[in-house]
Amino acid sequence: MKRHLIGAIAAGLTVALGVSGCGKGSSSDDGGSDGKSITFVAAIYDDNTKPYWDGLIKDFEAKNSGYKVRLEMVDWTQMDAKVKTYVQTKQVPDVLNYNAFSDFARDGLIYKASDVVSPAVLSDFTPTFVEQAKYNGEQYGLPFISSARLLFYNKDLFKKAGITNPPATWDEVKSDAEKIKKAGSIGYGLPLGPEESQAEFFSWAMNNGGGWVDASGKWVINQPANVDTLTFLKGLNKAGLTQPNPESTDRKTVFNQFAQGKIGMAIGGPFTKAGFIDPVNKSLNFGVAPLPSKSGSEHNTLGVMDVLAAFKKNDGKNKEAVKKFLDYFYQRENTSKFLTKEGFLPVTKSAGDALSADPYMKQFVDALPTSKFAPTSNPAWTAVAGAVKQDLGGSVADKDPKKVLDGIQKTAEKSG
Amino acid sequence: MQDVIPEKAGSGTPVPEPGGPSPLRRAGRALTPLLWLGPSLALIAVVVVWPVIEMVRTSLLKISSSGVTLGGRGAGNYTDLFDEEDLVPVILRTLGWVAGIVIVTMALSLALGQLLNARFPGRRVVRWAVIVPWAASVLMTSLIWKWMLDNYSGLVNRVLLDLHVIDKPVNWLAHPREAMLWMMWVAVFVSLPFASFVILAGLQTIPAEIYEAARVDGAGPLRTYLGITLPLLRPAIMIASIINVINVFNSFPIIWAMTGGGPGHATDTTTTFMYKLAFYDQNVGESAAMAVVNFVLILVMVLLYLRASRWREEVR
Repeated sequence: MKRHLIGAIAAGLTVALGVSGCGKGSSSDDGGSDGKSITFVAAIYDDNTKPYWDGLIKDFEAKNSGYKVRLEMVDWTQMDAKVKTYVQTKQVPDVLNYNAFSDFARDGLIYKASDVVSPAVLSDFTPTFVEQAKYNGEQYGLPFISSARLLFYNKDLFKKAGITNPPATWDEVKSDAEKIKKAGSIGYGLPLGPEESQAEFFSWAMNNGGGWVDASGKWVINQPANVDTLTFLKGLNKAGLTQPNPESTDRKTVFNQFAQGKIGMAIGGPFTKAGFIDPVNKSLNFGVAPLPSKSGSEHNTLGVMDVLAAFKKNDGKNKEAVKKFLDYFYQRENTSKFLTKEGFLPVTKSAGDALSADPYMKQFVDALPTSKFAPTSNPAWTAVAGAVKQDLGGSVADKDPKKVLDGIQKTAEKSG
Repeated sequence: MQDVIPEKAGSGTPVPEPGGPSPLRRAGRALTPLLWLGPSLALIAVVVVWPVIEMVRTSLLKISSSGVTLGGRGAGNYTDLFDEEDLVPVILRTLGWVAGIVIVTMALSLALGQLLNARFPGRRVVRWAVIVPWAASVLMTSLIWKWMLDNYSGLVNRVLLDLHVIDKPVNWLAHPREAMLWMMWVAVFVSLPFASFVILAGLQTIPAEIYEAARVDGAGPLRTYLGITLPLLRPAIMIASIINVINVFNSFPIIWAMTGGGPGHATDTTTTFMYKLAFYDQNVGESAAMAVVNFVLILVMVLLYLRASRWREEVR
């Protein structure tokens, strides 16, 4: 009888494991150890990304005979899981396009920037971004694309509500939102759902003197300025000036409603027009303004940067091929082609001018000097951002802002 | 048989043993079944046992946020896990989630199985229709429901507004309790086909003579159902509910697609919590510890269930 029981358990376990054992993606094999074949894992930004890389790699291989680049495209939603799998199974790509690098640098997995690009490329990077690409004072990350955030507002709704200028202060945001609500629409679109609440929150906090770390790089997530910021946002929500349930709303929903002309204001980036507004409503009459600040005197913007990282492999045999490929990508016409196709901002001086020709993009390029970044050079940042994504939204609903921030601060200190 | 045994024994003995049936030869004879069992044992070892070992091993390691293994960590991942204040609510919610779904699914599938077993015109079409939610990808079903429940353009709100059940749109998936109930409904919806077909198969094994005998003895429909159908369906019910328990316990896509376990951890079950530990909190070791706890929970639940339903009597 016992045997049957064991058999049943075994069958049960088989099913259990079969059910839970999905989702582990195929892992890549490296292209050989002759040092001339490399693997490049690129993130999918939109439908243009793959054709761009296919074309670039074809040109590269034509100009450098004998060198081979194997391209693997990974969707952003899969990226974190994939990257962890690569590292854990010791099947890292030679070059990775990602949004973090510092824990790779800490764990000795990647080359210093100076090892894998020529001095000319190195000096072409805009200094603001080089600062963000450093770990322990050395540059490891290769700035790839950047982005900034500004306040999008619906001009028609503003007119209908009798508002002439976009808000510069938080008080104006509130009073404008009230007017828009009276006119029958949603005042401010606040996406504090798990998708990117760290970006939305920081966009407000930095304009109140708040932020993640102090001047010495210590975590100060529960500082009064941050509590103050969340209290303000909570006030907007509780007064019914935002869309319902900010704690579970993602950007996509906010900008879908914004594009339909149902939301008066929301914070977006250069990609917002092509990615979110145009597909829904090409004729939306909207404007873009600096992020409002509490005092109204200075306006910072949120800077975001993605990087390329080059992994050490086969005792450094891949270095030469990696360097050839990266130097090729960082040629002026190649980088600016990528940026214009994808709607991102430049990270190199040489690609800067190409984008300023477009008046919409120019506003974002102009905002870059005032940009503040999340502390991505701290290896603990990813875990902190993860905690923010999970917990921050609750503070504008039923939780106490101070307690929520205390919890995230605790996580941050624990992570290092 | 005879020519297989020496071959097997030969392969198992490095020292040749001339002469009669030696102890080694007898050992070889005892090992013969392994030849036939081998492939399936190997499969179980690779597909079942090895991942379990790997899971337990990972839960004892210190793994950097980049994915590099930094050495052993003893029980550190477990103490971290048990320190999570969300852990207990998540486990309790998971148990409620499993119990709710399995009970409702079994109740509905008993009725559905009965219906599918009855003779009526168009039965074939109905049987096919019941399979559809099963054949469709769970993720797809969840996403469809997510959009049907959408605050702004969801079908559910539209219908309820038109029927004057509610007077303004409800953001169903943003409120933990409502979200949980809707997701449980989706889980019931996708579990029904399998359960009802197992019940249907069970019903078809019950010989018609027993029903005839009951009729002769003057048993009414209710008495027949309680006295004959239900007891004879017990093996089918048991199999269907055990597999359902395991499935639902590990169900990731429904919750992940519909609420992502949010707001906060308010709709997380152990599986989504496990995922968040690994990919939001960057703590693969602690996530593996959660996986081990999850595994033990399923094991205990299945064993308790088997005991409660007196499995042993059944197989006799």
